[in-house]
Amino acid sequence: MSYLSSIIASIRVGWSRDFGWTNPFLGFSLKTIAPIASTMTAVTVLYIGFRNGTSIASGQFPMLLGFILIGATLYAHISAYSWVPTLAIAEGKWTFVFPQVYVSPKSSPPYLAGRCLAAFASSTVTSVASLAVAIALSSLLFGVAIPLVITPLSISLFGVALVVNILASMGLGFLLGAYAIFASKFEWALPTYVSGLLMVFSEALFPVSLLPHPFSDIGNVLPFTEFIRASRAVLLPLGSVSSYFYYLALSFVGGSTLLAIGLLAFRYAERRARRLGVLDRKVV
Amino acid sequence: MNPRASLWLKTVYARTWVRTKSIYGEPLWVAVNVGFPFFTSLALSLLYSSAGLKAGIGFAFLGGVMVSFWGNVLWSMASQFNWDKQQGLFELYVTSPAPISAILIGMSLGGILGTAPSAMTLAIIGWLLFAPPATPLWPLVALTFALTLASLYAMGMALSSLYLVYGREADSVNEALHEPVSFLSGVYFPSSLAFPAALQAVVLIIPLAVGMDALQRTLFSLNSTGATDLTPVYRDLLLLAIMGITLLFAASKALKILEEKGRRAGTIAVRQK
Amino acid sequence: MSFRDAKSTVEVEDLRREFKGKEGRVLALDGVDLKVREGEVFGVLGPNGAGKTTMIRILSTLLLPSSGSARVMGWDVAKQPEKVRPLISTASGAERAGYDYITARGNLWFFSQLYGLPSKLAHERINEFSEMLGLTDYLDRKFYTLSTGYRQRVTVVRAFINDPKVVFLDEPTIGLDVMTALKIREFLVKQAKESGRTILLATHNMAEVDAICNRVGIIDKGKILACDTPMALKRSLGAPALVMEMTPAPDSASLEPLGKLEGVKGFTSSIDEERGVGRVQVVVDSDESAQGALDFARKSGMNLISNWRQQTTLEEVFVALVGRGFREREHESPS
Repeated sequence: MSYLSSIIASIRVGWSRDFGWTNPFLGFSLKTIAPIASTMTAVTVLYIGFRNGTSIASGQFPMLLGFILIGATLYAHISAYSWVPTLAIAEGKWTFVFPQVYVSPKSSPPYLAGRCLAAFASSTVTSVASLAVAIALSSLLFGVAIPLVITPLSISLFGVALVVNILASMGLGFLLGAYAIFASKFEWALPTYVSGLLMVFSEALFPVSLLPHPFSDIGNVLPFTEFIRASRAVLLPLGSVSSYFYYLALSFVGGSTLLAIGLLAFRYAERRARRLGVLDRKVV
Repeated sequence: MNPRASLWLKTVYARTWVRTKSIYGEPLWVAVNVGFPFFTSLALSLLYSSAGLKAGIGFAFLGGVMVSFWGNVLWSMASQFNWDKQQGLFELYVTSPAPISAILIGMSLGGILGTAPSAMTLAIIGWLLFAPPATPLWPLVALTFALTLASLYAMGMALSSLYLVYGREADSVNEALHEPVSFLSGVYFPSSLAFPAALQAVVLIIPLAVGMDALQRTLFSLNSTGATDLTPVYRDLLLLAIMGITLLFAASKALKILEEKGRRAGTIAVRQK
Repeated sequence: MSFRDAKSTVEVEDLRREFKGKEGRVLALDGVDLKVREGEVFGVLGPNGAGKTTMIRILSTLLLPSSGSARVMGWDVAKQPEKVRPLISTASGAERAGYDYITARGNLWFFSQLYGLPSKLAHERINEFSEMLGLTDYLDRKFYTLSTGYRQRVTVVRAFINDPKVVFLDEPTIGLDVMTALKIREFLVKQAKESGRTILLATHNMAEVDAICNRVGIIDKGKILACDTPMALKRSLGAPALVMEMTPAPDSASLEPLGKLEGVKGFTSSIDEERGVGRVQVVVDSDESAQGALDFARKSGMNLISNWRQQTTLEEVFVALVGRGFREREHESPS
């Protein structure tokens, strides 16, 4: 079995697990409703700030609304599939699937990569749907027209940004997976902390320049920040195509680096776990 | 003491003990449970600040505190019996003389006591970092908080009977309920300032929405004069009391009916092959 | 000990239970009659899907019967479950029920409270029973750290902690190592003898039934086929079984006529893959029938490499009753 066929088999398993609903409409609704709600929470906070605060002018509000709608949705998208390797390992230890995968010819990285890619696909579908619904709801609730740029070019470039971001998310997934291999309890703890950190540092809800130095520098270095900036550059009349490619390049470089680090960390974790005999230690 | 009353109290105490011991026996739980609510509250606080509404920081951190309890209600109350059923514990409850209501009350008390440390930690961190402007009416805050928790956990008890039947989809239902209910309840913002009147009226069927409205009004001033209009607070308190009692009653009845149905259909125990 | 004069603690009359499944209706219990007496260890022996677990569930008030009646300590399990529950307990071998982050002792104390036991008494019993089961050194460990064997010991202690009059055990030693299983059996016998508890033990482990049960009820397809002491059941066959080994192993078609021979009550067949040898165990009612079976095998052209007479086991009793062995029966059972 080649690496590619392992990955494809794992994508199919992941897809069945995430999208194998007996009632597709119900399943899709259940998966979409949470990101819609969390996005709406963020935009409602902005609205209250706009109405009762002192810093947002009327003309700025629609653009800021668009800023947050895109950021919150993409943040949820990243969170949803970057922690799948952790889930696959924890679940796999519980069901004894993970040790079986580990001892197979191509071992666990293709399996985890496949599961991550399947989750990317399902998360992309639900994120796009939740963004559309959140935009409609926001326009209705707040009575504004959100200045989105929806053209074949902008959608295509957005799609490319989504795909490039797989590198960073998968890298993060492997890093978290390296921790999950050792965790016998609270294996979901680190991913939730990382998810929370991303909310603050990835420019999901506000520019990282608002954070005090050196925290703002952390935000500027993250490939996730560059991904969200690239997406906003094409979906909002904020930036230009050249700024999009600039952010995309940074996202690619940062993502590739993170993926390399993640894979190295994961391989090291596997070797160490094998020495300690914890690869098939059941989680509580 | 009456033997039935004694058994009821022993059961409540024992189930409370199990829940709190599980949490306090692993101090890491507190750190784990604080994480995500803290970062969410922090992000929303920064959003409020950037909009020039420092008072909003209080809403953000109050939201984090209440989301901790809401999460506990969903994940540790509502789905607990389904989890117990998978482990073979639920049938032990049914075949014992202990009343199921006592087990539920024990779970609720344990849940509240177990969540309190992380909730308090979050509140303290928020206060230390930002010192949000607050105008608390402490006696009313205490009463509101108690009633909100009571009706929230009563809702958890009612949901637990539902999950006993539809257990397999419990995780998906929890994920679907968690954020939407948080949003509709205005956990991180005063819904009276955001939602149209019709929507505000509709969400009053959600205990968390009623509780949040009352807590926000008793902790922070929502108008420019700094004074608090207490009429909506009293309305909310009355609603919470009614909801709590109704949900408790509904939970007790529903579980009795489901136990009988389960005995008839043979679904109380997970079938062993 | 004679149980004839002891009062009945479990009484089952024409008990039926039907389930509606995707494949239609399944009759799990089909008119079971049973009486178990105080202080007895009563085995319910049968293959998977025979109805053992269903019967335990009804008696422990988890399940309602479709018809018929069942009483425990004189109380009706269907109509008076609240009267039954303080007097019984139940434990299953497939169960690993406990709260992971609580110690074994904490878990046992918790369950004792569901029966209203004073804490001091609960701890005394926990210590006493744990000592008997070799669990004392593990009591203060968190439940999730215990191995399967020790979790099962905790389960067994839990079943006795409330001083039940009747204990229902469903395969309590399944999947356990020999030493742990032995310890649990010794404990059960002691509890029945010294405390006068009635123990109903559902199992498909014949050695276990042989070792500790005062009486056995053999169940298959929801019906009790025979009920007596293990010795009496084995004696009822009349003659020791005939065991034949042949190579190559015969196919089931060529063995069919064997079951129709006079005096042959049934047979089981198996294959020893390593030796490439087939083994046929024939339950007969007399030495003449055994000879007849031997002659048949030779005349049919089977290459007999050895044969001998074997002391009757409960499996042979089962074979005699239903014509097939446990393993063959499990292939046929709907679950």
